[in-house]
Amino acid sequence: MADLAGFSRFARTYQAGEIIFSEYEPGDSFYLIQAGRVRITKIVGDIEKNIDILSAPEIFGEMAILEGAPRSATAIAVETVKVLEFNRANFEILMMGNPQIALRLLKVFTKRIYDQKRRFMILTLDDPQAKIADVFLMLDETQGAQNQGEELGDKRDFKVTVDDVAHWAGMNTAEVQTLLSHFSNQRRIELYSDHIVVKNINDFIRFVNSKRKK
Amino acid sequence: MPKVGTYRANSVIYFQGDLGDKIFVLQRGRVTLNYNDIETGKLIREIIQTGEFFGVKSALGRYPREENAVVLEDANVLAFTVPEFEAFSMSNTRIIIKMLKVFSNQLRHIHKQVENLMENPSAVNAETGLFKTGEYYLRSRMYSQARYVFGRYLTYYPAGRLAEQAGRYLETAEAALARYGDGKGPAPLAVAQSASAQAGSSDAASTAPQATAKPQEGAGLSDVAKDYYNAVSLFSQEKYQEAMKILKVILETGSESEYVGKAQFDMGRCLFALGQWDLAIKHFTGIVQSAPKHPDMSDILYIMGQSWEKKGDKARAKAFFAKVLSMPGDDDSSARIKAKKALGALGGA
Repeated sequence: MADLAGFSRFARTYQAGEIIFSEYEPGDSFYLIQAGRVRITKIVGDIEKNIDILSAPEIFGEMAILEGAPRSATAIAVETVKVLEFNRANFEILMMGNPQIALRLLKVFTKRIYDQKRRFMILTLDDPQAKIADVFLMLDETQGAQNQGEELGDKRDFKVTVDDVAHWAGMNTAEVQTLLSHFSNQRRIELYSDHIVVKNINDFIRFVNSKRKK
Repeated sequence: MPKVGTYRANSVIYFQGDLGDKIFVLQRGRVTLNYNDIETGKLIREIIQTGEFFGVKSALGRYPREENAVVLEDANVLAFTVPEFEAFSMSNTRIIIKMLKVFSNQLRHIHKQVENLMENPSAVNAETGLFKTGEYYLRSRMYSQARYVFGRYLTYYPAGRLAEQAGRYLETAEAALARYGDGKGPAPLAVAQSASAQAGSSDAASTAPQATAKPQEGAGLSDVAKDYYNAVSLFSQEKYQEAMKILKVILETGSESEYVGKAQFDMGRCLFALGQWDLAIKHFTGIVQSAPKHPDMSDILYIMGQSWEKKGDKARAKAFFAKVLSMPGDDDSSARIKAKKALGALGGA
């Protein structure tokens, strides 16, 4: 791994259960894990959802590059965790001597840019039903690689809740609930408490394309 | 080894929507990237400079190409596979850093565009969100986590709408942690119910103001902290004039030395960012004289050096950069590294 001996003053240690940062907290640092696992969680409704579990040498909190933006999730140490803490002002110093880390951060940024662009595409749709359908298309595009083998023809199973869909569509949960029920009545989706099945993803692709302005 | 491809004028290197794992560098000729702006739909033509990389994001991120790469004049293009690019980048960190800067700017830009579209009632505001996160942990008897979150709430929103409640919950969490330990004891919020929910709907909001006097740190300091963070946020948005207005108030009020010191430094940064070299130098000179032990002294001296350099006074610039290097402290602080670089660029110490 990279030579990080000179960076000890950026080192931080967290004990099991300790919060590294909380969702909604303004953030100005991002972190490189050196040892231990970090749980990334979000509280949705009344449930704490695990979004990810990260370990060395992964990077998290990189959205701090957007100064002043609140954290979008909470990071908690699963066990004793050692991290290097950086911010916009000093990350270049670390990257300079550690091309592996720079490359990793570059990849994280490419993914974030894509995610945000895709999100933008959803939000610019006028039709609320199309927004919801497009959320599933986005999830299909990004999850596709992981779910291979589980796919059955045009059917897709998404591990998301109504709250998640509302979050991505930038709509309120009640409205999304109504529209999803409508889709369900049309037998285009099956609605469960912890997952949603889209019966025919191509149907949604056609639907969204017809609603997207050229 | 990356391969050189030769393309004739009017041919296309890749189409929007293509899946491709190649990263290109233009060696000779003319290439444009054509795409529609996601906001306006307008067709954008981005000319690639000789030596410039393109197709980087889609190849590294493994998503479809986002533009048509069209050859305008016969071109030689070097094509890297992702592993080749990775190997190349290990010995060319500068290129990666440059890309990181470009990408982080793009990320900031697109994030702002998304934010602009997100003005809707379902978006939870950060203050309420933070408080609710604390409530969740308290309700789940995760006392140390609750303590952390309410502590943060009081740091960022010391005079906030829910500050009084946050203070009480913080005490509850601390008491429960001491008495029962994490995950044990009676659920403290089952009785208390959710204050954030009440505050939104009933008269709880109107009773909140009496809290402002209560937080231990005192309301004056709290406002200063809040103002200071606002100013920093404005600075990052390049709204220097507005940031300066707030900083000026903090300096005039002068109620908390920690923030006054920070505000002094940031005031100078604003002047520098606005191209007011003389004023920046004057301002920083004042700090050097009145607060020689200022925690940001290395950075202050570095920016003073930069200001002199901008004014064309290389000798003075060098003297300041050299002073940064003579300051005690870490060898690899950002100011030192930057000063060393600047000194090198000016022709040595």
